Amino acid sequence: MKFRLIHKTQYKYAGPVSSYHSLACVMPKSLPQQECSNFSLVISPFPDEISQRADYFGNTVHYFSIHKPHTRLTVLAKSLIETRAFTIPEQLITCAEVRELLANSLKNKLLEYVLPSPFVYWDDEIRNYARDCFPDDEPLYRCARRLCHKIYSEFTYVPDFTTIYTPLKTVLKEKKGVCQDFSHLAIACFRSLGFAARYVSGYLETQPPPGKPKLQGSDATHAWVSVYVPGMGWCDFDPTNDVVPQERHIVTAWGRDYGDVPPLKGILFSSGGHEFHVAVDVLPVP
Amino acid sequence: MVAEITKDLLDAYRKEISSYDEVLDAGGAFKPHWKKLFSSLGAMGMDELKNRNQEIKNKIRENGVTYNVYESPDGMNRPWKLDPIPFLIEQKEWQGISKGLQQRAVLLDLILRDIYGERKLIKDQVLPAELVFGNSGFLRPCQDVKLPTQNQLVMYAADMARGPDGRMWILDNRTQSPSGSGYTLENRVIVSKVMSDMAKDMYISRLSPFFTHAQQSIFKVFKEKTESLNVVYLTPGPANETYFEHAYLASYLGYTLVLGDDLVVKNGHVFIKSIDGLKRVDVIVRRVDDEWCDPLELREDSRLGVPGLLEAMRKGNVMVINPPGASVLENNAFNAFLPSACRYFLNEELQLPSVATWWCGQEKELRFVLENLPRLIIKKANRKQVFRSVYGRELSAEKLAELKKQILNNPAEYVAQEEVSFSTTPAFVDDRIEPRFAAIRAFLTATPNGYQVMQGGLTRSSPLKDRFTFSNQYGGVAKDTWIVSNEAEIIRDRIVLPALTPHVNALSSLPSRSAENMFWAGRYSERSMAAATFLTITLNALNFQRNFGNTNKSQHIDILLKSLSHLMQVEPGFLGEEGEEYLKDPYPVVLDMISNGEKPGTIVSSTESFLRAMISVREKWNLVTWRIIDLIENITNKFKNPGADLQKSLDKLQTRLFTFYGIVVESVPRTNGYYLFEAGKLIERILSKIVILRSVFSQKTDRFIENELLEAVLMNHFALVHYRSAYRSNLETEYVLDMVLLDKQIPSSLVSLLDSLSYCLTQLPATDDRLSAAQKAVLSASTRIKLVDIHEVSRPEHRTMHYVRLDQVLSEVYDSVLSVSDHTTNLYFNHTSTQHSLNESIPGPEDEV
Repeated sequence: MKFRLIHKTQYKYAGPVSSYHSLACVMPKSLPQQECSNFSLVISPFPDEISQRADYFGNTVHYFSIHKPHTRLTVLAKSLIETRAFTIPEQLITCAEVRELLANSLKNKLLEYVLPSPFVYWDDEIRNYARDCFPDDEPLYRCARRLCHKIYSEFTYVPDFTTIYTPLKTVLKEKKGVCQDFSHLAIACFRSLGFAARYVSGYLETQPPPGKPKLQGSDATHAWVSVYVPGMGWCDFDPTNDVVPQERHIVTAWGRDYGDVPPLKGILFSSGGHEFHVAVDVLPVP
Repeated sequence: MVAEITKDLLDAYRKEISSYDEVLDAGGAFKPHWKKLFSSLGAMGMDELKNRNQEIKNKIRENGVTYNVYESPDGMNRPWKLDPIPFLIEQKEWQGISKGLQQRAVLLDLILRDIYGERKLIKDQVLPAELVFGNSGFLRPCQDVKLPTQNQLVMYAADMARGPDGRMWILDNRTQSPSGSGYTLENRVIVSKVMSDMAKDMYISRLSPFFTHAQQSIFKVFKEKTESLNVVYLTPGPANETYFEHAYLASYLGYTLVLGDDLVVKNGHVFIKSIDGLKRVDVIVRRVDDEWCDPLELREDSRLGVPGLLEAMRKGNVMVINPPGASVLENNAFNAFLPSACRYFLNEELQLPSVATWWCGQEKELRFVLENLPRLIIKKANRKQVFRSVYGRELSAEKLAELKKQILNNPAEYVAQEEVSFSTTPAFVDDRIEPRFAAIRAFLTATPNGYQVMQGGLTRSSPLKDRFTFSNQYGGVAKDTWIVSNEAEIIRDRIVLPALTPHVNALSSLPSRSAENMFWAGRYSERSMAAATFLTITLNALNFQRNFGNTNKSQHIDILLKSLSHLMQVEPGFLGEEGEEYLKDPYPVVLDMISNGEKPGTIVSSTESFLRAMISVREKWNLVTWRIIDLIENITNKFKNPGADLQKSLDKLQTRLFTFYGIVVESVPRTNGYYLFEAGKLIERILSKIVILRSVFSQKTDRFIENELLEAVLMNHFALVHYRSAYRSNLETEYVLDMVLLDKQIPSSLVSLLDSLSYCLTQLPATDDRLSAAQKAVLSASTRIKLVDIHEVSRPEHRTMHYVRLDQVLSEVYDSVLSVSDHTTNLYFNHTSTQHSLNESIPGPEDEV
């Protein structure tokens, strides 16, 4: 499938901002299953400086700074994306076998996706929540799907109930949240049982209700998880929608958790607060 | 005689010894290098040693050597503790230790480069992956942030102590921004002044070459940049525990002391925001911990760092020493793997052993730890986690079981260390010489010729007998550390600094924040001075009236008290309806105006604000200044005691402030900082004189009262004596006004003050050759005063008897001068905006620095 991807972030400040430094992690990856072309990043006001680099995890990040007083900031990332359906032949390697490999030959490579990270930590409660999805002698891949289905069916998608700092304990107790929460919880479940899991940041093309036109800016940045299954590599799962990401999921970046890959980070010098607005369009190109 | 006293000293000391001792060998005989010291101590005698100890305490106070203890009742600026008896290490032994320290520095540097590079140590299973990927000091954004030098670990400090077998053991590695070298230097400065006769017949290695090495290696990196090398010393600020040292070292090394807020990253370069614009920074020597260095890429809630700093480092435009990310080496579990890493990288055995350490992330080690818990010390591997070390032997069976469970729950988070006994060394405690455990911090710096070790160190002894607490946070006492030999030190490598050194000072510009503190030091000192001066005048009048006058209080007292309220603006005052009540018994209110530290404007709070401003720019003032500052601080504390003789204290405060002003005029270089200080002082002085004039001359009064008031005004301008000799007549309003407004011979006349202020402003940096807004305001004020018709303004208006014309002039001048302050602030101190994050709902910091 082909998409025109438009990701627009706008900030309105209460008072003039004299100086602004930012990191944007918004450029989609080029992978076997997706091709990103014609990427452009338009920032207003025009930044004094902008540079591109690969971060620790291999994601593309842009650093930019603005040193003239401004009261509005717009960051517009546009690209053309072509995605392909793909399937990895399923391996039947069991949970016990994976755990064994991760503790030994795969340890050095994958340890940082098994250990706790700033937004992903767990206790017995979370481990117990996950445990029955992962019998030792069953294939990990299927168990992962089972966990995502469990989260999908037991949790309600409620915007604004949580913030990124809401503890996973609360998410688990209230059974409410958004895609970041469900992804962090799923990652915590995987890691609590000794599996390697990472956080994937990207976009999802949404479809309008039947018979209605698609609204502008109605798509969203999205997040899901990826689990390492030896023999298959990193396998993506979307616990928010209970699907295995395919052509409608566009990958931007991955890391241990949200903290490694926020789409836009910034430090500003101003005398007041700010409000912001994000609009994303994933428009199918015929 | 000498020998006998020594014997007494020694016998008393000997009785207390319970473990390996620095002074005496196993047979109880003196080790040779201590013998000389004890014989000097013997010659000195205990009484004299007590005196010296007191002298050291005085010096520490005078020099303002402080160590801030968090959450302590003493709070900020607690005096540093220094033992008069030094710690001695024989030169030959020190050379061996130095080699071991150098090997360690080389090794840690290799490990640091490997962790942020190829990670061969993990691949080859020398270091468990957990100790990198689960290490809170492993900062992923620092992966590609490197110094241009080969060594990434530029500064290194190691804490060590002697074990029961006499060998040195390394207790701890400091790799971010090691503290203590400045205190070490100051210890030496003080001890060498007070205890110089103790060093008789001994040759003691010098400390200064270490600092020269450190500077030199910075300069060598920039050999092409001959003219404009700008080095700054980044401090977290006056609230930091070792702030004294930051200011001290910055000033000793000739670097500009800055806070994160003073720096800005623009177009990939770091600049200092100074009062004459942005100045490029080449090197940052930091005392801000790793995670706080850049809020954009590290801790978002840090207000101590510089957003964009890591990006500037990546572009190779600034050198940060040590580079952020170095705290990865401070993990407690590393000790267990240094011997194998040493063999791996250097193909050598580790010369200086670490305290035996077991990391519980390994099965065998975990088992050992759990079996031997009662004789081990348990720590967290990641040092930043809030967790005090637990001594197994102090735990009940129940607590031990609990700890076991805790460890088993997450073994990789814990390390255990052997509880070792350290050597004892003589310490001066409660006027006696007693053995105390001691630990030494050694300092190293990377140079193109390898790591150089400071020939000395920071020794700290435990405040309590048989305890191992050395940290200054827990009351550790510092000792000067002498590397001693029998022969004069051969200066092996005479260090010649490259020719560019002199430029460093010339270039350092005044950061806007320091500028602002200088300005406010001036304003607050004069606010305190103006209040003290007029309070004295008022209290004298009040006391005279009470003791000698008639029972009916004269009206002039009321006018003086009201003027005092106008000046000090402290509530409650003598103004308004409420004020009428207080006028009946003014003393309690006056007392409150002086000593209430909670209200702004009182003597105590203005003086404290002044002291705070001084401390924030500690490095700008010389030693003599600190002596008087110490005296001003003492007198301020006196005001807080109930029953203090207020008048005497006010006199003292006034005298000390005058002394301070005198020292400033006589000794402070005429830099921008000086002129801002003076400008602040002059602005405050003009404003306060005008307030009094307007209040006193609001209405014509009868002859007697007028006379008293005119006298008070002249005293307030320090002009009474001059008036009497000039006019030899009764006090006349017109003549008095002429003198306090227009007489250039009177330094406190408005015209003199305005001229001085105008001069200060011309000395400050300008954007172009036009008058600045501040200069215009002063010009207008001074012209208004100079053109005044004294005869005219001295006559009250007929109907109301108010001095309307005088008040008109004075209020215009007041407004102009007040605007000078605003204009100066806008021009030089930009502080209207504060740092925010796009993501504002960040939880509070869990562990400040």
